Amino acid sequence: MQVEKFYYDNKIVKAFGIATVVFGIVGMLAGLWAAIQIYYPESSLNLAATTFGRLRPLHTNAIIFAFVGNSIFMGIYYSLQRLCKARMFSDKLSWIHFWGWQAIIAAAAITLLMGVTTGKEYAELEWPIDIAITLIWVVFGINMFGTILKRREKHLYVAIWFYIATWVTVAMLHIVNSMEIPVSFLKSYSWYAGVQDALVQWWYGHNAVAFFLTTPVLGLMYYFLPKAANRPVYSYRLSIIHFWALIFIYIWAGPHHLLYTALPDWAQSLGVVFSVMLIAPSWGGMLNGLFTLRGAWDKVREDPVLKFMVVAVTCYGMSTFEGPMLSLKNVNAISHFSDWTIAHVHIGGLGWNGFLAFAILYYMVPRMWGTPLYSKKLATNHFWLGTIGIVLYAVPMYWAGFEQSIMWKSFTPEGQLKFQFLETVTNIKPLYIVRSIGGALYLTGAFFMVVNLVKTIAKGRFVANEEAEAAPLVKEASHKKEYWHRILERKPVTMLVLSLILVAIGGLIEMIPTFLVKSNIPTIASVKPYTPLELQGRDIYVREGCYTCHSQMIRPFRDEVKRYGEYSKAGEFVYDHPFQWGSKRTGPDLAREGGRQTDSWHYNHMYDPRTMSPGSIMPRYVWLLDNALDTSSTPAKIRAMQTLGVPYPDGYDKIANADLMKQADSIAANLKKDKIETPSNAEIVALIAYLQRIGRDIKAEPKQAIAENK
Amino acid sequence: MLPFIRKISKTVLRILGVFLLISVTTPVWAAGPPEPSIFSNPLALTFIILMILLLIIIGILGYILIGAADLKLKKEKRSTPVAASAMVLFVLLLSSSSLFAQGGTAAEPAAQTAASNIGGMAPSTFYVMAAVVFLELLIIITLLLNIRFLLKKEKERIAEPVTEAEIAKAAEEKRNHLSWWDKFNSLRPVSQEADLDLGHDYDGIRELNNRLPPWWLYGFYLTIIFAGVYLWRFHISHTGPSSKEEYETAVAKAELKEKEYLKMKGENIDENTVVFLSAKADLDAGKAIFEKGACISCHGTDASGIVFGQPGVGPNLTDDYWLNGGSIKNIFTTIKYGVAGKGMQSWSSTYSAKEIAQIASYIKSLHGTKPVKVKDPQGELYKDEETKPATDSLKIMNDSIKAKDNKVAMN
Repeated sequence: MQVEKFYYDNKIVKAFGIATVVFGIVGMLAGLWAAIQIYYPESSLNLAATTFGRLRPLHTNAIIFAFVGNSIFMGIYYSLQRLCKARMFSDKLSWIHFWGWQAIIAAAAITLLMGVTTGKEYAELEWPIDIAITLIWVVFGINMFGTILKRREKHLYVAIWFYIATWVTVAMLHIVNSMEIPVSFLKSYSWYAGVQDALVQWWYGHNAVAFFLTTPVLGLMYYFLPKAANRPVYSYRLSIIHFWALIFIYIWAGPHHLLYTALPDWAQSLGVVFSVMLIAPSWGGMLNGLFTLRGAWDKVREDPVLKFMVVAVTCYGMSTFEGPMLSLKNVNAISHFSDWTIAHVHIGGLGWNGFLAFAILYYMVPRMWGTPLYSKKLATNHFWLGTIGIVLYAVPMYWAGFEQSIMWKSFTPEGQLKFQFLETVTNIKPLYIVRSIGGALYLTGAFFMVVNLVKTIAKGRFVANEEAEAAPLVKEASHKKEYWHRILERKPVTMLVLSLILVAIGGLIEMIPTFLVKSNIPTIASVKPYTPLELQGRDIYVREGCYTCHSQMIRPFRDEVKRYGEYSKAGEFVYDHPFQWGSKRTGPDLAREGGRQTDSWHYNHMYDPRTMSPGSIMPRYVWLLDNALDTSSTPAKIRAMQTLGVPYPDGYDKIANADLMKQADSIAANLKKDKIETPSNAEIVALIAYLQRIGRDIKAEPKQAIAENK
Repeated sequence: MLPFIRKISKTVLRILGVFLLISVTTPVWAAGPPEPSIFSNPLALTFIILMILLLIIIGILGYILIGAADLKLKKEKRSTPVAASAMVLFVLLLSSSSLFAQGGTAAEPAAQTAASNIGGMAPSTFYVMAAVVFLELLIIITLLLNIRFLLKKEKERIAEPVTEAEIAKAAEEKRNHLSWWDKFNSLRPVSQEADLDLGHDYDGIRELNNRLPPWWLYGFYLTIIFAGVYLWRFHISHTGPSSKEEYETAVAKAELKEKEYLKMKGENIDENTVVFLSAKADLDAGKAIFEKGACISCHGTDASGIVFGQPGVGPNLTDDYWLNGGSIKNIFTTIKYGVAGKGMQSWSSTYSAKEIAQIASYIKSLHGTKPVKVKDPQGELYKDEETKPATDSLKIMNDSIKAKDNKVAMN
């Protein structure tokens, strides 16, 4: 048969590689800065853009979508061509994908720092960017499928199964969770409210971890690990079982982020059991990685690439075991809202995603520049710095999470809470400091890598188009009986459809009843829509990222009810677009904040939290005192809410601002009584209005009715 | 190298010995402090578990070190100083376990005073335990360094020329050898790898068709069974409690316990039974809470209502005027329940009834202290007939709990 000659496109891989390194460092710097702010609030510089509530979404988005995202594309563009024995389908699409993705990242960075956010974790980007992501994702899909279809290899290797499942699932997750109604160019409200919004969001949020940080990276592992170790993959059978089991089961596990919340119990239980069933499929990937190294462990001692891979795969195994454990309700009762979760995700992020990205870079750069790595020793030092960094990051966070949670739950024999919230925070400050040292070490290691790669590149010559040859694929009518999965491996489109069906099942079964069955969210008659001023205040709450540190979800625990008040009911959130339950309590829960403090307390507290609660680590929000509230957006916001089913009277949008001013004036007058002069149209007034409203409606309900709900 | 590996695998058996050692030392320690509270502290428990784990690691490393040293010495001198190195290990183990014991006993007196604590433990306990863990880590590092040093020597020696045939034979043996770990995972010897090769070739990547590790497969089945049982128990048979039921049980249980405790201590105080506590100890305790707690941020350090030279959020508590009544019962009620929407929050979840009575008594005792700078009077004139004669009374007001919004400037 005639052998065809063709060229792999290395240039696009190089571009994504540079982006990976640059955004990795940017994202880690943002993380380090945010970590320092937790114990040294003044380092927010008292600027809106650099305060924790905006910096934290920047950190998470930069790491997930810019650093890991680019590293995935880098690895896919490299491996897909070689596994398909074909150049990418279209160079033009490759470059549209590349520049489109970088433009999205730039837009994300700017808007997040501006405070433009939807208030849903890892989906903070506003609707124009959401649309751009969808388009670029489709471009990537066409390019990938085009390449697969014109391949010269008959069967699809396991790495490509993972790429396909990733593509189709991320598309589904992104589109469903980003359903929002635009109010203006940079503001929208989530289509869903309260409990439903929470369910959709964590279905998305959990599977962002599953299908953006796990499945594509597993695909990369399946290519780069056997290549680097020069060993055969341990078990094809295991690949098949763990792949299909993983994608089917993963999608169900989202509700484990909402245990003991107002989400119906049956949905929580589904989250628990599917998380537990995830252990084996997840570990299938780890086993296939580690057992592939059988007979090559002597190489691990020498080769930094393999060193990084071994730790990455081990971290993957640890966090995928820990995840199901954290999904057990009795463990979750301790871990949730604490730093334990932070430790858990960073084992995955720093260990699995970070280390595998580094391994791939160390593997590819010498090959694409045709020269050995500049310094193996430097790479080994990077490895050790990174590993120590991970330990120094994770151990204090585990400790802090456990200790703080136990303090929250401590009672005196008289039945009083033993610790005030603030005591539990100041107590773990030293651990926060150690954590940031760990992060700094990890970042230093990354700088080592930059030096190493730059020196390597300087030494070698870049091969932009790498020559390769293979025989074209011919349709042979072989009637030989093939293993069923081998047949599937010849049919990429069937595989795509099958993946989509499998991942759609879990979401549908969890969401449809929650949306349609009334008893899941019992109505509470006294819960009323927000006033226009409160609505504006709520948008400020979202804009400043308050949800990154404050939850609004009192779980049915003795200590939480004692500390915060009656536990949260599903019916309380029906007008919350988006929900703001939060996932972390760096500060106390705010679900019953309304009426707890005076207006002047909030005013002073926003100006400088430490005057009202000495030792507080909350940043100052001085600009809220000066900024004038933009009331021109009120009518559009009311109309959007009406579209979403919030029962404002017809034509209310026209008179909403009059109501807004009336309420603002009364708050300003109230502040004046406490010798605080503020214009009624300051943003702080709207925020106070919202804070004083949270969780109050239910108090108007007769006791009997509350008891019957839920 | 081979005898050495065998030696290491033998040490696994010897770990049993280490367990024995630990089981001997730990009960001694556990029996030491009769105070059981240390075990109910999760942080302490974590520490203890950590210490035991590290101890086990030390034990294992110690045996490996002995093995390595043994091998080295045998080769070098043909003498048997194993006993000596075993002694070293024993000393190590015993010294760490005796530290253990100190940690336990030090905890006892400290735990009872426990005025300031770290994670619910007395500071001395905390530091001793942290020091033990640190020490154990140091020992581990030392052991690792030693093992590394010995192994390096070993490696160099092995690298020395041996006959080709010997090398080939050793390699062949290795390829056919199956360790317990390999058997546990149903792995085939490396020599039979070719039989498993599926002949796939993706850019040079081959695939084997190893059997699924049995523990993995049965573990998977087990989690599926777990899922079925879980759903059955909580949603079909309803033998497991719902979140709400769990909450109600927890509260009921706690309330019962609290009641018993208070009955035992004779401190069942509420707003109907509270009386002015004139004992110095009570007033001092009230003062301590007032000054340490959040009271001063609204009422000022001297209760004058002046905070940092400015009128604070709360009223002057030393004058004759009261917003919510000035009797001991009124003050107790105000602290316990707060005044909704007026800045005074409820402190009943922070302080016990006894403590609130102490604070209220302390506040009562401040009457007429006349701080240098005071906030303007707020509320109604109140004269207490029981405790102190009024100095500037005009008329006696009733002490009903009424918040007079129209008169109030603050709050």
